[in-house]
Amino acid sequence: MSRTSSSALWRSIAFSALASTLLLAGGFGYAVKDMLYPSAEAYTGAPVKSVLPEHKELSRAKEINVTAIGDSLTKGTGDATGDGYVKQLVSLLKEKYPAIPVKLNNNLAVNGIRADQLAQRLSTDKGYRYALRQSNLIVFTIGGNDLFQIANGRAAGEATGDISLETVKKGLNQGIDRLDNVFRLLYEINPNAHIVYTGLYNPFYNITDLRDGSLQVQKWNEEAYSLLHQYPNMMMVPSFDLFERSIGSYLSNDHFHPNHEGYAQIAERIAQSLD
Amino acid sequence: MQSAAQSDVVLSVKDVKKRIGGKMIIKNVSFDVRSGEIFGFLGPNGSGKTTTIRMLVNLIKPTSGDILICGSNVQRDPEEALRHIGCIVENPEVYSYMTGWENLEHFARMQRGIGQDRIAEVVDIVGMQHRIHDKVRTYSLGMRQRLGIAQALLGRPKLLILDEPTNGLDPKGIKELREFVRMLADQGMSLFISSHLLSEIQLMCDRVAIISHGEVLAVGAVDELVNQTGSYVVWQFDDPEAGRRLLAAEQGIRFVKEDEHRIDESILAGLKEAVITSMDADRITALVEKAVHAGIGVASVQRIAPTLEELFLQLTEGESIG
Amino acid sequence: MDRLLPLIQNETLKIWKKKRFYVVVLVLIVLIPVFTYAQLKIAETNRKNFKDWRNQLVQQINEYQNMLSSERIPEEWKRNRRIAVQQLQYYLDHDVNPNSPDGVTFTRSFMANAVNLFYPLLVLAVASDLVSGERSAGTIKMLLTRPVRRWKILFSKLIALTLYVSLTVVVSAILCYLISGAVFGYGGWGMPVFTGFVINGSTVESTYVHAVPQWLYVLMEGGLIWVSSMTVAILALMVSVLVRSTAASIVTMMAAVIAGTILSTMSSSWESAKYVFAVNLQLTDYLAGSPPPIQGMTLSFSLIILAIWSAIGLIVSFGVFTKQDIMN
Repeated sequence: MSRTSSSALWRSIAFSALASTLLLAGGFGYAVKDMLYPSAEAYTGAPVKSVLPEHKELSRAKEINVTAIGDSLTKGTGDATGDGYVKQLVSLLKEKYPAIPVKLNNNLAVNGIRADQLAQRLSTDKGYRYALRQSNLIVFTIGGNDLFQIANGRAAGEATGDISLETVKKGLNQGIDRLDNVFRLLYEINPNAHIVYTGLYNPFYNITDLRDGSLQVQKWNEEAYSLLHQYPNMMMVPSFDLFERSIGSYLSNDHFHPNHEGYAQIAERIAQSLD
Repeated sequence: MQSAAQSDVVLSVKDVKKRIGGKMIIKNVSFDVRSGEIFGFLGPNGSGKTTTIRMLVNLIKPTSGDILICGSNVQRDPEEALRHIGCIVENPEVYSYMTGWENLEHFARMQRGIGQDRIAEVVDIVGMQHRIHDKVRTYSLGMRQRLGIAQALLGRPKLLILDEPTNGLDPKGIKELREFVRMLADQGMSLFISSHLLSEIQLMCDRVAIISHGEVLAVGAVDELVNQTGSYVVWQFDDPEAGRRLLAAEQGIRFVKEDEHRIDESILAGLKEAVITSMDADRITALVEKAVHAGIGVASVQRIAPTLEELFLQLTEGESIG
Repeated sequence: MDRLLPLIQNETLKIWKKKRFYVVVLVLIVLIPVFTYAQLKIAETNRKNFKDWRNQLVQQINEYQNMLSSERIPEEWKRNRRIAVQQLQYYLDHDVNPNSPDGVTFTRSFMANAVNLFYPLLVLAVASDLVSGERSAGTIKMLLTRPVRRWKILFSKLIALTLYVSLTVVVSAILCYLISGAVFGYGGWGMPVFTGFVINGSTVESTYVHAVPQWLYVLMEGGLIWVSSMTVAILALMVSVLVRSTAASIVTMMAAVIAGTILSTMSSSWESAKYVFAVNLQLTDYLAGSPPPIQGMTLSFSLIILAIWSAIGLIVSFGVFTKQDIMN
């Protein structure tokens, strides 16, 4: 009796363990082979299929899906609460369209990004394109880094000290070309979405030497508007006026980005502009 | 190739030495165990008994010397040598998480040609049929002892080595063990039994090796060794003084002083004013006659064999045990 | 071999009867549901926040990138993030979800996360008292006085240990699949997983990247885990030969394994740490293309290091076990 039970136990352990060992040894062998002598066969998966949203007013949409792209302003840098204008905008939209679900799909803003880098992403990054095609409201900011950074190659927020009007001027033309690229790509990716571009402001308005920078900023905004105007689904929201007289109450400690209040104002304007 | 006398030897220990940590634990051990005998291995705790036994069963390797079991060297050919022995070193430690039967199966698998019928047979020999399928952790020490012996018997050994087998057993268990050992010997098995208890060896063994401080002091038949020490003859006279004078006049009679002998006090307690002598026991009859002629009444004469303790003391020339 | 088989049977049955494997299975049965639940919570949160996995992945990549632009983050960490970004990007570009919620994917990530600490601990549960247990119980005296050469006894213990290591890996995978599958579904066998990322500094070369079906990936993982677990098992066997008490033997090995884990996370500055066996246990990282704990480590390097440690472990174990005097 004991014999049968104990040798049956042994046989079943031995059999299953041996099978496991062989299986694992096979797995190991394959893994080593696969890693040391990889067969490079390109994988072309199923194409990303995404359906563009219907083109209609937001107030009549089934749902509002927001995607935000751009630079640190969209990221919300400077806002101690971390909300930025994007999250505040989503809250405002929820109030404005109580019957429609509003959702922030993605905030893909990257600190310090320039228009050329954004254009690069828009043209190559499938993830970006996918996220943008999913939404019917796209908000973005870009250009600040181009305008203030091109000359000294440093992130805008850190460049306060050595910024000069000359370099800002130099950056303008180059930046506008890049901006044009961004607009074009955005339209190409999603012609159906409402796309809102928030214009630039002069964070150095209260520094006497740099006050004239506002002219360059204004020029940028003008150029941007004329470019964007060609696309029926795009619009521009100004922000420069917010940061002139009341610059002290809307700018954060870094003296470059808006604070929570400043972002609230931008969000408010975007919400107002949407139908 | 072996001579007739040698083929009779089951275990042969030759000039075995063991050094541990720079210290000679076993200085020189030699003895033979013949087939069919019960061989005692006597020594106090710490004398090197356990180390020697461990060398016999290949748990410890000797620094020098040879141990042959049925002609095979334990170090060089353990598979052949160990086939002929069964052993319990110190306590009978078996796997407590298995049943007795599973333990026996386990050890049976370590040797060729031991089947289920042999396991049943040894279970029968040690009388454990009823509990053999219980987990060992529920066993009493006595039962573990029996299981240990059953395990040792599995391979039909020529030599059974038991290390302090009576340790922890009650008097009944000890008596049963003695009978069991005798029965095995009667069947032709040799037994090697170690003990620090003198009485045990006297009761169980045919021959004995006495070990102290890592050296074998004497090897021989238990009876011979006892005789070699010489018996005591204890006289009880009506008039002890007269008796003493009478014995003193004879040649070859030595008086043993009070502090010289190691006779059990309980024996002497009944013998008032006894005269203890060391002499040839054959002369007792003649001497009794002589005393009667001289008008000295002889109340009793007793031969008292020396204990192994005494023997031990004699061999070590008065060194204390241990 | 005919004499070895019964010995292996003995050792296998003893481990079983000691209920060591029960402990392993029990630990798995308790822990896997815990991780399944945690994974479920994560999946729920993601479902709430993201429209689908692509949005989630895009967001994740974006967050990594934002962290990369910060100057307060250590270079080593940035390097790892940069590599992660490139790999996630690869998945995104090829429209493959790296973390699809299903039983097989859960099993894959569970096994990858368990390789450097959890599997070694499970192995220790079986291996640590193989010899020391016999010594502390005194049964070694019975075992070694039988007419069997000592190397055969240790060898049969090693084989039995190997059998249980294999069982542990396979059973853990099966339990993972069964338990997590009940929540996430039993699919995902054929899902493509990318392997063959070659890491060069902080850039990922994707020349050799190719997709393997997930079942094959899990099998490869299992094989690699088996190898690193066997190294731990052999070293545990060695310690168990050298150390008399089981507790000491477990503690010694656990300390080594945990120290290795800690070293892997902070050893960028101490390069020779790569010769420590415990730093090389994460073989599955090479499969996934995660950056190795110390720059310059490769699969071949780790395999050689593990092989050397195993060889030393075996030499010491057999050398000591066959010669050692059993004094108590």
